[in-house]
Amino acid sequence: MFLPEFTLLRPATLEAATRLAAEPQARVIAGGTALLPSLRLGLGAPRTLVSLDAISDLSRIEPLEGGVRIGACVSLSAILENQNLSKSYPAMGEAARSVAAPGHRSVATLGGNLCLDTRCLYYNQSEQWRRSNGYCLKYGGDTCHVAPQGKKCRAAYSGDLAPALLVLQAEVETTSRRLLLEELYRDDGANHLQLAPGEIVCAVRIPAPRGCSGYAKARARGAIDFPLAGVAMALELRSGHIAQLRVALTGTNSRPFVLSGTDAFIGGKPDGATLAKLVQKQAAPMRTSVTAADYRRQAAMVLARRLLDRLSTGEQR
Amino acid sequence: MSGTVAGHPAPLIDGIEKVTGRARYTADLGFSALWGEILRSPHAHAEIVRVDTSRARALAGVRAVLTGDDCDVPYGILPIAQNEFPLARGRVRYWGEPVAAVAADDEKTARAALELIEVEYRPLPACFSADQALAESATLLHDDKPRNIEREVENAFGDVPAGFAAADLVREEHFRYAEVTHAQMEPDAALAEYDAARDQLTLQSVTQVPYYVHLTLAQCLGMSPSRIRVVKPFVGGGFGHRTECLNFEIIAALLARAARGAVRIALSREQTFVMHHGRPETAIRLKIGMKKNGEITAVDAECVQRGGAYASYGIVTILYAGALLHALYRLPAAKYRGLRVYSNTPPCGPMRGHGSVDMRHAFESLLDAMARELGLDPFAVRRANLITPPYRSGNDLQVNSCGLAECLDWVEQASGWKARKGRLAPGRGLGMACSHYVSGAAKPVHWTGEPHATVNLRLDFDGSVTLLTGAADIGQGSSTLLAMVAADVLGIGLERIRVIAADSALTPKDNGSYSSRVSYMVGNAAIAAAEALKKQLNPDVAFDEAVRQALAKSGPITVSGTYTVPRELQGGKFRGAGVGPSPAFSYAAQVVEVAVDEETGEVKVERIWVAQDCGFAINPLAVEGQIQGAVWMGMGQALGEATRYDAPHGLPVCANLLDYRFPTIVESPPIEVKIVEARDPNGPFGAKEASEGALAGFLPALTSAIADAVGIRPNELPVTADRLFEALRERRRAARLRSAAA
Repeated sequence: MFLPEFTLLRPATLEAATRLAAEPQARVIAGGTALLPSLRLGLGAPRTLVSLDAISDLSRIEPLEGGVRIGACVSLSAILENQNLSKSYPAMGEAARSVAAPGHRSVATLGGNLCLDTRCLYYNQSEQWRRSNGYCLKYGGDTCHVAPQGKKCRAAYSGDLAPALLVLQAEVETTSRRLLLEELYRDDGANHLQLAPGEIVCAVRIPAPRGCSGYAKARARGAIDFPLAGVAMALELRSGHIAQLRVALTGTNSRPFVLSGTDAFIGGKPDGATLAKLVQKQAAPMRTSVTAADYRRQAAMVLARRLLDRLSTGEQR
Repeated sequence: MSGTVAGHPAPLIDGIEKVTGRARYTADLGFSALWGEILRSPHAHAEIVRVDTSRARALAGVRAVLTGDDCDVPYGILPIAQNEFPLARGRVRYWGEPVAAVAADDEKTARAALELIEVEYRPLPACFSADQALAESATLLHDDKPRNIEREVENAFGDVPAGFAAADLVREEHFRYAEVTHAQMEPDAALAEYDAARDQLTLQSVTQVPYYVHLTLAQCLGMSPSRIRVVKPFVGGGFGHRTECLNFEIIAALLARAARGAVRIALSREQTFVMHHGRPETAIRLKIGMKKNGEITAVDAECVQRGGAYASYGIVTILYAGALLHALYRLPAAKYRGLRVYSNTPPCGPMRGHGSVDMRHAFESLLDAMARELGLDPFAVRRANLITPPYRSGNDLQVNSCGLAECLDWVEQASGWKARKGRLAPGRGLGMACSHYVSGAAKPVHWTGEPHATVNLRLDFDGSVTLLTGAADIGQGSSTLLAMVAADVLGIGLERIRVIAADSALTPKDNGSYSSRVSYMVGNAAIAAAEALKKQLNPDVAFDEAVRQALAKSGPITVSGTYTVPRELQGGKFRGAGVGPSPAFSYAAQVVEVAVDEETGEVKVERIWVAQDCGFAINPLAVEGQIQGAVWMGMGQALGEATRYDAPHGLPVCANLLDYRFPTIVESPPIEVKIVEARDPNGPFGAKEASEGALAGFLPALTSAIADAVGIRPNELPVTADRLFEALRERRRAARLRSAAA
């Protein structure tokens, strides 16, 4: 399919990248596994692509105060190949392994996955398709075909790594600041990243692991697919009682988010049914995929319950 | 009888080119050609009020601009149903239908030219389902087709009322099937080169049927076929998608002639999805009468297919659905009603298992359910209805070989059915089903009176044998098979044979790769050609010496071998009798084991045991791959694949490989294949078809396994996780209500 004409720039420093990326009609590209298919569909026509591949600092994995700092351009397969990472942060390893297929993972990056565009049946289509439909709220139009009465884009955030890093209490370093990962996102499918023009995600900082963690993903097929729903969890038990529980969701809402209300579990025994109810209340899937929206909510509930089961059994063992 | 080559596994002779990347597919050709692009309809149904191409024509670098005005010759694969134009004339009937086309110096210019073409449409009400199309108030797609019915089929064989009266159990069920499409690996593409000085056209394309493409080009371009050459390069799969001339092939040729040069058109994946010609959305009502011992006494089937906007093979598909009710089991009486309906969706066509798949699912499912009700084992109910050849079905299908009994025995044994059925862990289930398919349609689409197949063999001073065939190898391995057949008869090694295939300037015409006809018909022609060549070779000396002696007498030798389906295998006399008859039928049985996650509705296929009677496996390696491929394709339809067109524009929602969910390798279970060889008296070395027969059986074996696992038998395909989840939840709700009431 048609790839629009653009100039590919490969700055050697972050400063240069920031300056170039701040130009109007510039886009940052890392692995390109998400961006290039979108451009082929006519979703954007940037004049310049600012590649980060010449900035070697962004591809480092380094220890950090008991935790780790991972450069934004570290590939997902590099994360998987680093056994310490997968051992210390199983949620991250499980999430990375569930992304697309090995070919994608060999070039797709951590930063790219975190900044993944939101997805919708009415958005991830060809230019001709969207034009016939009068475009949509997210791009080029003023109607949301998913919720025509609303004035908000409901496209679903579908990255796998974000929920894992959310439960691991990761922070994000950008070219201008340090923020909690949850502060990177806002609940708006058309504008879900809180990044200023030219601001580039440089690294993720994950504190030392507490307890255990995991990621579970509902998908139509075992490879390739984006999550219908994804649940990440970090759990710490003390003599069978919950000392810490963090749960995050992806695939169901316009942003990945930490499930609220899990503090109430502290001090108690793992209670999957109650957790599932929390998920049911907060997951808000819409008709953005071929699979029924309610199913995605129900799947998230089951995943959360089972993940709690798996982690609490593992913790006690 | 076969000798040293046939019957022995052989890697495909063109495999090296494919795995090394040297193979050139159509889209790899013609990079100096003009760039062709097609302007497509943004509406599902609309009148074309006005098309203005003047601004596009004025753009620098544009070499040709065409509209419906440039070709007023309708085309279509069936001579009795030609109602499509390469570029729409007066009306568009589905989203994405070609309206105008441009040839330009490069892609950017071609795309810019498309933007400059102004088309004024007057939208019309559109029909996206058969029910909508059949409604009294529906807008007609074709003025000569009242109620949007393309074809209504009604037939009955045997005494149906008496059959039902004699039954101990009569059951009736309704079934629904989503439309599915081929999703072959290679997107559509064509390269047309027009030699203006000689008024000659060469077309290279992704086709399965170069001969039909050739005829259609001659027809639509008003050219003598003698001025046209059609070449099929390497092709990346077909499955029926390319079984007739498609609009982009004609458009490429028209553009090349108008631009007086070469034009290449390469469709995107979305456009290839919209080209479609796959299996229609189908609704089936089926009634079966059965004796206590499982014997079928009567069948009453009704099938409605949403056929899309144009005829294509539609009449054949709706006839197949009825005709192939027969010839798998003995059916003393069967009644069939079929409705093929036009709709504002891309035209459907033939797809692997053409016409038989959805009906087979319905039939096997109901058989299975009735067996359960009568306390019979599913194997027993099949065995109670086996055919013993020679057998002639009620609708005049002649069966001269049938290895179904052996297929049943093997899958029963291999799956451990007797020991395991009913004793699996919760959520696990076993299911089985049978299926069959034709080995080539006994009546070709274009009846010419010519033999059904011809193969030429050339022998020259170098001692190599060149096999010339029009048969289109689309990845299924037909060129390898034909080389094996000829080598075997001649008693030479496979490496001595060179196959030249599917180039109308060099190779004898062949009807093409559809209806699983090539192994049987072209295989027989290859045997005949090799026998003719063998006659000229002295059997008492080494091959090289025999060649020298023969050439000394006659110079370089070319022989021809042909095959014609015997009259008695060409079927009966009733209306529609031409669809169904075949010189031979393949048979298959399979057992599927599933694990169902009752909380998520996810179905995992754990294992498949499949046995297919292919008569004789000329290339067992290819046969095994074809059977696995067929089963796998059935798995896709059963578990996830479905197209979807949304009102009001008829937008194809799943026209990409993420949303059109065929299985990935992760879902692909071990498929154990048993090749059963009930040699057919008329097949090449006894061979029959091997690549379609096992497909249809997978679907009912799967739903039967699901029924075994969780007690719910899905009558609507695909069985996606959300659908099964919903059915399981519904059952839990009903159970709660019952216990509350009790």
